[in-house]
Amino acid sequence: MELKESSLYTATTPWFESYRETFLQSMPASDHEFLNHYLACMLVASSGEAEPMEQFSKLSQEQHRIQHNSDYSYPKWFIPNTLKYYVLLHDVTSGDEQRAESIYEEMKQKYGTQGCYLLKINSRAPNRASDEQIPDPWSQYLQKNSIQHQESYEDGPCTMTSNKNSDSNLLSLDGLDNEIKVDGLPNSFRVHPLQLDQCGDPPNTDGSDHTKSASVRENKKASTGVIRGACLTLTDHDRIRQFIQEFTFRGLLPHIEKTIRQLNDQEMAAVSAFLQPGAPRPYPAHYMDTAIQTYRDICKNMVLAERCVLLSAEILKSQSKYSEAAALLIRLTSEDSDLRSALLLEQAAHCFINMKSPMVRKYAFHMILAGHRFSKAGQKKHALRCYCQAMQVYKGKGWSLAEDHINFTIGRQSYTLRQLDNAVSAFRHILINESKQSAAQQGAFLREYLYVYKNVNQLSPDGPLPQLPLPYINSSATRVFFGHDRRPADGEKQAATHISLDQEYDSESSQQWRELEEHVVAVANKGIIPSSFYPTQYCLNSYSDNSRFPLAVVEEPITVEVAFRNPLKVPLLLSDLSLLWKFQPKDVNGKDIERARERARLKLFPHHIGELHILGVVYNLGTIQGSVTVDGIGALPGCHTGKHSLSMSVRGRQDLEIQGPRLNNTKEEKTSVKYGPDRRLDPVVTEEMPLLEVFFIHFPTGLLCGEIRKAYVEFVNVSKCPLTGLKVVSKRPEFFTFGVNTAALTPLSPSTSENCSAYKTVVTGSPSAGTALVSSASSVDFGTSTGQQLEAIPVPLPDSVLLPGASVQLPMWLRGPDEEGVHEINFLFYYESVKKQPKRRHRILRHTAVICTSRSLNVRATVCRSNSLEDEEGRGGNMLVFVDVENTNTSEAGVKEFHMVQVSSSSKHWQLHKSVNISENKDAKLASREKGKFCFKAVRCKQNEAAVQSSEKYTFADIIFGNEQIISSASPCADFFYRSLSSELKKPQDLLSAHTEKHGAEEAVRLIQKCSEVDLNLVILWKAYVVEDNKQLILEGQHHVVLRTVGKEAFSQSQKQADVDVIVDLRHKTTSPEALDTHGSFTWLGQTQYKLQLRSEESRSLQLKACFVHTGVYNLGTPRVFAKLSDQVTEFETSQQNSMPALIIINNA
Amino acid sequence: MAVCIAVIAKENYPLYIRSTPTEDELKFHYMVHTSLDVVDEKISAMGKALVDQRELYLGLLYPTEDYKVYGYVTNSKVKFVMVVDSSNTALRDNEICSMFRKLHNSYTDVMCNPFYNPGDRIQSRAFDNMVTSMMIQVC
Repeated sequence: MELKESSLYTATTPWFESYRETFLQSMPASDHEFLNHYLACMLVASSGEAEPMEQFSKLSQEQHRIQHNSDYSYPKWFIPNTLKYYVLLHDVTSGDEQRAESIYEEMKQKYGTQGCYLLKINSRAPNRASDEQIPDPWSQYLQKNSIQHQESYEDGPCTMTSNKNSDSNLLSLDGLDNEIKVDGLPNSFRVHPLQLDQCGDPPNTDGSDHTKSASVRENKKASTGVIRGACLTLTDHDRIRQFIQEFTFRGLLPHIEKTIRQLNDQEMAAVSAFLQPGAPRPYPAHYMDTAIQTYRDICKNMVLAERCVLLSAEILKSQSKYSEAAALLIRLTSEDSDLRSALLLEQAAHCFINMKSPMVRKYAFHMILAGHRFSKAGQKKHALRCYCQAMQVYKGKGWSLAEDHINFTIGRQSYTLRQLDNAVSAFRHILINESKQSAAQQGAFLREYLYVYKNVNQLSPDGPLPQLPLPYINSSATRVFFGHDRRPADGEKQAATHISLDQEYDSESSQQWRELEEHVVAVANKGIIPSSFYPTQYCLNSYSDNSRFPLAVVEEPITVEVAFRNPLKVPLLLSDLSLLWKFQPKDVNGKDIERARERARLKLFPHHIGELHILGVVYNLGTIQGSVTVDGIGALPGCHTGKHSLSMSVRGRQDLEIQGPRLNNTKEEKTSVKYGPDRRLDPVVTEEMPLLEVFFIHFPTGLLCGEIRKAYVEFVNVSKCPLTGLKVVSKRPEFFTFGVNTAALTPLSPSTSENCSAYKTVVTGSPSAGTALVSSASSVDFGTSTGQQLEAIPVPLPDSVLLPGASVQLPMWLRGPDEEGVHEINFLFYYESVKKQPKRRHRILRHTAVICTSRSLNVRATVCRSNSLEDEEGRGGNMLVFVDVENTNTSEAGVKEFHMVQVSSSSKHWQLHKSVNISENKDAKLASREKGKFCFKAVRCKQNEAAVQSSEKYTFADIIFGNEQIISSASPCADFFYRSLSSELKKPQDLLSAHTEKHGAEEAVRLIQKCSEVDLNLVILWKAYVVEDNKQLILEGQHHVVLRTVGKEAFSQSQKQADVDVIVDLRHKTTSPEALDTHGSFTWLGQTQYKLQLRSEESRSLQLKACFVHTGVYNLGTPRVFAKLSDQVTEFETSQQNSMPALIIINNA
Repeated sequence: MAVCIAVIAKENYPLYIRSTPTEDELKFHYMVHTSLDVVDEKISAMGKALVDQRELYLGLLYPTEDYKVYGYVTNSKVKFVMVVDSSNTALRDNEICSMFRKLHNSYTDVMCNPFYNPGDRIQSRAFDNMVTSMMIQVC
């Protein structure tokens, strides 16, 4: 259907027509039939002849002699009594008209009016001919080859006459043929005896022949030239037409009608039946079928059978019986003649498509069969044409195997015909369309493709490199990385992880980094993020924002990672892979970019600033021949640098075109499909920027919770310009510190710091027996203000500038996070160039530290008013601080025991005064699961309160258990204290405010709350004795407890917050037998079991009633409390730890 | 049971072809392809008026030496072609017909999927499983 409109579909097949004609012409007439037999003979004489009548009789005798003399086996004459038609040719320009008329009268008398004709032609002068274009009346009756023949013999008058003679003979026969629409019936003029007689045997010819031919020549003088019929006018054309009509209707047809009834050959009868116009009977196809079958099977005469088929097919076609015609044509195809079969199959295919409902698939199928036969017959062009025509049916229809076959044949045929471009594109189709062929087949296709491709390339070696179809490039997966590769760890130095192509994209972490960068930029710009700020992207991938041109720095490599995919089942060998790029330098200095290669990562090294465009990749594509192992299948062998195998390989390119994200903002974009730009591959090379490298020395991977460890950081400026403004930002500022004024108190190089305490310590001669040593420090000194929740910590560089090539090692203290488990801590280092640049102000460096912490101590503290103890100075406001320290370490980490070293207080208003219960456990040792209790007395600070408030000054008081004082007001102890304080403050403050709002209306309540407020912070410093690899190590650490309310417990570690179901069961204890013994003397009254749900941070008080029968001391701490997570269905309930004994003394009333 | 099952679009291109994993995939493609002519003939043989109430199941399209080819055409001119091993005599017309109905139902489900573009190749896993079940069912 659509096929018929296509340009490639050829409705006409001239080659077939000429084949048919030639076939019919060259076919010898057979004895049993009358095709190609002459029905009539036309005798022509000129009116200029001296004795035309005599000529006629002579010609008549001649004809008689040829027909009845046995010398001539050819031509065959239809019937003995051949119709003779006498024509007197009269040239109007030269002849005497009256004479001609009189001769004609004479002819009529002699041969009858039906048998003769006077033809007048040439009614104008020959010289006028040239400018008027009257079509040659003869041309439609003359075969092309006969015209050529005639022209080639133009010189010889003798041959010319003979030609003319034959022409007129042909004329009559052709005219007849033309009438009956069965063209191609003419006899072969070359073997015509009349002609042979005249030119091949001149001595035999008598004068009359000469005169006749002379007259003919005279009459048609003009027509012997290239332009025949130049002397003819339109009247002549009419006359000629009239003459032919006269001849056929008056002379020939009556004659045939007379004889046709005698024909009994079925074939002839069928043809005749068809020829009869308006015949009432339908075309008797079965006659034809029988005839063909008989010819083929019985007579074994393929030639006659073929002729019969050709005739019948034409007839059927003219009657639109295409399927019958096709069947007929297909039936004749056989093994013996490829060419004939091909032609017939092709005709059959045309029949299928010409049907009323075109049978497209049959058309295509037979076209392919025809193409196959054509190629077998060596007709490559025809074969190619057939396949191409069939291709139109199958193209893109999903019949992949058929399509592959056609493409492969087209490729081959095109190649043999040197249509290399077509061949390449055909092979390309096979390879790229997710071929379903077997591996061996694909390998063959690939080799063939490469071979053809190579030939194409050799034709134009200097042309642009052509596009290769394989392997596929997943262009959206292309990643671009700016910067040097990460240096591997150098001895003890561990480089900052930064960012590399090996890292998988993680949207959560990239968001975190982005926030960190935004934050640090805001800090660097005095709290405002500049409008020109965009987060730095070192690695561009399909997730990153690629709408802007990325910035690359001169003299820093750009790495492009290209993702290849091999759709084939055979391995592909890529070699000499390199990037294609275009560079627009900003300076006129020119450029020098070197290319490096590593796997599918390609590196560019820009040496000048400007705009770079990465266009694509260039590579050699080849096959691996020889021992191709099956396990290579699927996996891309990548770019082996190794020796090139002898296999074929071609060089070509593939462009990298990355489609941006689909736009979906405006209504127009939503309704249409539009894509934004993706500038991943178009970096702008900017001026030199400083480049920082950071190394960590002695950086631990495992810590105890709260452990303090000292490590060193080395900052190296590897660029050629100085850097400044170095800052570091992290979400966990409480994890690390650079300390304050560290230069004075720590060894500068990491090697000398081995086995040194992380703390600043002072040896005290004798233990101060539990009294506090007081010092003070301001939080401002430690760079911590409680206002902002996230801080950018400036790195204390000497002179705050790092010169090119310079490196600085700085100490860094780490404190293990309070929560147990694996912590990923992100550091973002921020730095700027000394000179301001318009495009990019800052650069960043990332580091992710992974720290695994294990449980150490759990500290619980309460503060309560001391009523009994009086201050020495008699002032009230003394307080007791109870501290419970539990060793929660599960000795996995090899920790033997913890020693409490020191407890320090830090507050604006309070300070620890002395230890109350110095027991025999002087060094405060805690083995696994042991618990220690400490009690301290706290007093109000002596400073003026107003001054304290304004200066943010904290008073530090250290109570030492050993003989070494850790100065808690100095780095790093105070650093971590302030950090934890600030992170501690941000959480409960919200809660507190919410809490106050609840009761906000009542001023009294708030006042009461204010009264019970206290701001005492405790720092518990400890040492842990650890056995590791048979060596004893001493680890140090500190825990913080923030005490805010009198009587409320505070923990060193934020408690897990979850909704819990709580069961308070009072009866439980009473059922226990031993409890009965000791405490059986009182009973709980009223409700003895409560079930309630507590939300996080919620507190609830229950009223319990007890009845005491006797006087005495009772322990009321008997209730058992069970809790479970509310969202868990399991019945597993954890029992609360036994609460402290609550003693009550009942006196006798 | 069936050795090849194909779904052919109205415009006579395959939406889905699955055959038993033999080397003769091409042969089955060819068989299905050729059967389309028979389907066309069968449909066009029916008068316009009859088309509406015709039976969707076309019956045996043509037998070859080793296989039998059955056809089924939906009202939207989507063709289902099933190639069955000739040796399998247990399979009656009725069963073939019910298999086609199952196939049709599954195809309808595929079409009901809002993410399926009509005319695309069928890549539904549910459909795949159904076809698999029809192909491996032990006879």
